[in-house]
Amino acid sequence: MKVRAGIRLVFSRECKRIPSSKVCIWGIVIAPILSMIILLGMMRNGLPQQIPIAVVDYDNSSTSRTLIRQLDAFPKTNVKFKSLSFREARIKMEKMEIFAILTIPKDFAREAVSGDRPKLVYYTNNSFLISGSLLFQDLKIISTLAAASVGLQTGVAKGYTEGQLMPIVRPISVEAHPLGNPWLNYSVYLNNMFLPGILQLIVMIFTISGFGAEVKSGNGRKLLRMSGSSIFRTIAGKLLPYTILYTIIALLMTSVLYHYNGFPLNSGFLPMFFGYFLLIIASQGFGLILLAAFKNYRFSVSIACLVCMIAFSLSGFSFPGQAMHPSLYALSFILPLKHFFLIYVDQALNGISIGYSMYHYAALLGFLFLSVFFFGRIRKFLERNVYES
Amino acid sequence: MKKLFLDIYYVWVKELKRIFKDEATLILFFLVPFVYPLLYTSIYTNEVVREVKVVAVDDSRSSLAREFVRKVDATADVEIIGYATDMEEAEEAMRRKDAYGILYIPEDFSRKLHTQQQTQVMVYADMSSILFYKNMLLSATEVSLDMGTDIRINTVGYGTQAQDKSTAQAVANEWVTLYNPRSGFAGFLIPAVLVLIIQQTLLLGISTIIGTHNDKKTHTIASRLRIGKNVNAFRFTVGKALAYVLIYMFISVWIFRVVPYLFRLPQMGDPVTIGVFIFPFLLAATFFSMTLSYFCSQREFSMLLFVFTGVIFLFLSGVSWPWDAIPAPLKGIAYIIPSTPGIHGFIKINTMGATFQDVMPEFITLWIHAGVYCLTATLMYLWWIKNMAKKIGVVRTSQPLAL
Repeated sequence: MKVRAGIRLVFSRECKRIPSSKVCIWGIVIAPILSMIILLGMMRNGLPQQIPIAVVDYDNSSTSRTLIRQLDAFPKTNVKFKSLSFREARIKMEKMEIFAILTIPKDFAREAVSGDRPKLVYYTNNSFLISGSLLFQDLKIISTLAAASVGLQTGVAKGYTEGQLMPIVRPISVEAHPLGNPWLNYSVYLNNMFLPGILQLIVMIFTISGFGAEVKSGNGRKLLRMSGSSIFRTIAGKLLPYTILYTIIALLMTSVLYHYNGFPLNSGFLPMFFGYFLLIIASQGFGLILLAAFKNYRFSVSIACLVCMIAFSLSGFSFPGQAMHPSLYALSFILPLKHFFLIYVDQALNGISIGYSMYHYAALLGFLFLSVFFFGRIRKFLERNVYES
Repeated sequence: MKKLFLDIYYVWVKELKRIFKDEATLILFFLVPFVYPLLYTSIYTNEVVREVKVVAVDDSRSSLAREFVRKVDATADVEIIGYATDMEEAEEAMRRKDAYGILYIPEDFSRKLHTQQQTQVMVYADMSSILFYKNMLLSATEVSLDMGTDIRINTVGYGTQAQDKSTAQAVANEWVTLYNPRSGFAGFLIPAVLVLIIQQTLLLGISTIIGTHNDKKTHTIASRLRIGKNVNAFRFTVGKALAYVLIYMFISVWIFRVVPYLFRLPQMGDPVTIGVFIFPFLLAATFFSMTLSYFCSQREFSMLLFVFTGVIFLFLSGVSWPWDAIPAPLKGIAYIIPSTPGIHGFIKINTMGATFQDVMPEFITLWIHAGVYCLTATLMYLWWIKNMAKKIGVVRTSQPLAL
């Protein structure tokens, strides 16, 4: 009974503290919602549309104009300039008005039919890698189509029927099956991880600040006494209100991602919900460990920020971990977000049996258990009750 | 006129001393800008993904099928780790993360080719990274075109060597990757991150200073009134800003010149152009940070309040998500943040070798930012000091805003 009372006292005190703190409202409630609105709003089309390019057409024949029209019809490409010199186009590129240039050589149409093999050259601005590779796809297709249509023309001239021709123009075709994200939707790809990444950051820094602020205002000892001098009860009572609040935010995120945006959720709701819940708990554990390790409110928060911002890159959803230096790849497994990422890939994207993800669920839980070893140091931190000497 | 410079000078010296006395500001102004770019760039130092593991399933069991698999294995992007007996076994390999893709060759592969029908190979890719998919698709497509050409020549080729060549491919094409020839991840992302590191550490550092003044209730000391020289709010703001800008001029050399050099990132720009361009960016970012800093009511709150904005600012700058695909209202928001024109300009000059004329729009925007945010920083300062005075009961009439 006394145990309950201890936790309950700290718990209800914390519940009153959160809504009265402007920083908590901004950092815990508004920040994730704002991020969600901006990031999802920005990528609501899934794939970037209408990226501007220029075509430098030295041929200016009906064939080349047809080619440009076909290219312009692709949703990703917007042929913004058609009558520039190459120099002018290149200046436009440097001004970031266009992201690719396609050059059609002089006498293109005539040479193609007469078998002189003219060359289409396309330049993409790869300092914007995503625009560059998306435009590359369209430009590659249009060049292959151009070759094929010429091939068809010559073939028809040689007396082949069209049914006979496709196998000749392209004997082997490749059929791609991107598993789990068949639309190659960038929003799926980025937001499914950026939002949990922001959640991890928020959970970690507010876990540390929860205890740091007590010591700063000289309430460290008071807090311990409230729960009957049990560090376990103190931490449980202190963190539980936040866990509930974060879980509500995670539910909001999952509903926006999987329901309103219809992002792939092949495993059903529960595995991903547990993933989010364990990410929250693991980040709380991680925050406790950082606080215990440095016993300095400000410094621990700084390290947490550093770790979480690096986590966006290190967990490997933009650039795969296997391609990083092996030591960095190994290091990435000390981040809760990395394990969450692997759960997300297996469960939401691939929808395979939950058994394959068990190790990562366990790892997330492990962060919490690991933090228990640091409770003693947190007790000392609260008992010492000294803010930055 | 002489008093103007003297006033600014007094504030400037005081603020510099203040920065060097506090461990927190030293970490944020010096240590983080020094270490973070190194840490961040080293993650992407391999730049490209090679040898993605793929398992092959060959139902055709023909020599042509084996040739196809061998050729895919020979590409730099994909490594065939072996054959699975059926799809079930291959899928299991993917579930165990032994492979990140499956190359499936159907049973009729060879027969169709010999009877002049179009045949298909299937590529199944794990989408945990879009780069895996890209690698597999490009390698398989390349091999299919390559083998297809040989097959086509065998089918219709009966002319001269030149005719065969044009049968192989009537129109040639070539892809030139400008500015980032290796299509590397670092060359693409890091320049933007570097600019953001400058702005975000400024924001965090300056906010920490204000938060500390709030904690220690030293805002009267922090204010212009204590300097004893009767400095007005505008000169006070400028003096403080110049202290930060001076420090960040040195930081900029490290971040914008040395780091890209160390990691061999594209560096085409003229150093003088970069320097001239970066100066208004530093001013704009400083005044922007000062404006926001007055919201920071405690020493540690800078991080709780502002760290997450880094992610949003990076996306709003239009580096990863193309600028033209960003909805107009968000573009508007993006352009009131100094990092957006800063990143655009820096990428243009540094990565694409643009001249000063090319970045004129960004350069002017940054000066406008500097001017406007200087004004807002001054107003925010007046608001802050008035608020604080009210709180602790020290009523001192603020002086008129005169230049």
